[in-house]
Amino acid sequence: MQIANLLNSSELTFPILECFHIAGFIIAIGTTAIVDFRILGYGLLGQTPSQLMKSTRFWTLGGLLVAIFTGLGLYSSDPDTYYLNLSFLFKIACLILAIILNYTIHGKVAKADSTSGGAKVVACISLALWGAVIFGGIFIAFVQGGL
Amino acid sequence: MLSLAIWLQQTGLMRALRESDRGYEILLSLHVSFIALFGATIAMSNLRLLGVAPRGYPVADIVDQLRVPKRIGFLCVATCGFLLFGMKAEEYYLNVFFRIKVLLFLTVAAHALIFRPPVYNRLSESAADSPLPARAKLAAGFSLVVWFGIVCAGRGIGYIHPPPFSHHF
Repeated sequence: MQIANLLNSSELTFPILECFHIAGFIIAIGTTAIVDFRILGYGLLGQTPSQLMKSTRFWTLGGLLVAIFTGLGLYSSDPDTYYLNLSFLFKIACLILAIILNYTIHGKVAKADSTSGGAKVVACISLALWGAVIFGGIFIAFVQGGL
Repeated sequence: MLSLAIWLQQTGLMRALRESDRGYEILLSLHVSFIALFGATIAMSNLRLLGVAPRGYPVADIVDQLRVPKRIGFLCVATCGFLLFGMKAEEYYLNVFFRIKVLLFLTVAAHALIFRPPVYNRLSESAADSPLPARAKLAAGFSLVVWFGIVCAGRGIGYIHPPPFSHHF
């Protein structure tokens, strides 16, 4: 029995879901970047990294959940194409690494209010991984074929 | 205006970018990355005005500190956006979602003119623990809605492929 995917039965559902996907990512990545830049010594210098992380963690998680659930919906519209797209696989690999980093080492570094060289390296890795997630996402539409 | 768009996309820089191997995709990725940084500063300022985040700090403290990152972020977003436009200026000019996006940017400018003097420039006068006036919350809510609209219109641009269905205004 074939089950019709709502995304494939309406022309508007996919673009609307995509807008929420982008908005979710903007909030999640942007709030993480605010903490990263604070660790690097830029941005909201009136607050410590731990204070910023505490203030933004709800929004980071909320944005991430919106991005992930809308992303699953988008993926379900054409799983074969996405699964075989190298850029999509790159994006997912970077996303998993970024989430693991965010809730382990990155969290510890921010909580400790550390601005040491090591902490700055963690912040740079975090920024690079989230940036790679965006690059991977954009390139999905431009990479033809794949595996 | 159309002739200006055609002239822009024929300039040496835009031609070189357009003919480069992955220039458009890389610029678009940078554009979206900067939008994430810029968008978060917009969201944090406005959410603080609405009283939902980040709590515990004076509103003026948060909004004032975010001013410079916001401006740097906007400059980066606008630079990438201008280059993306210039690469395919004629196509963008005729794209209905691009026009909606421009209209929404004009709305942002109007928002700044209307709300900056009475709201954003007077935040330091309000006490840290006193509730903000309804006008401040209106300004913040309106700003969030318009910026979300800009994100949607920006994404919509990609859904219209040449030849565009729109006509000249």
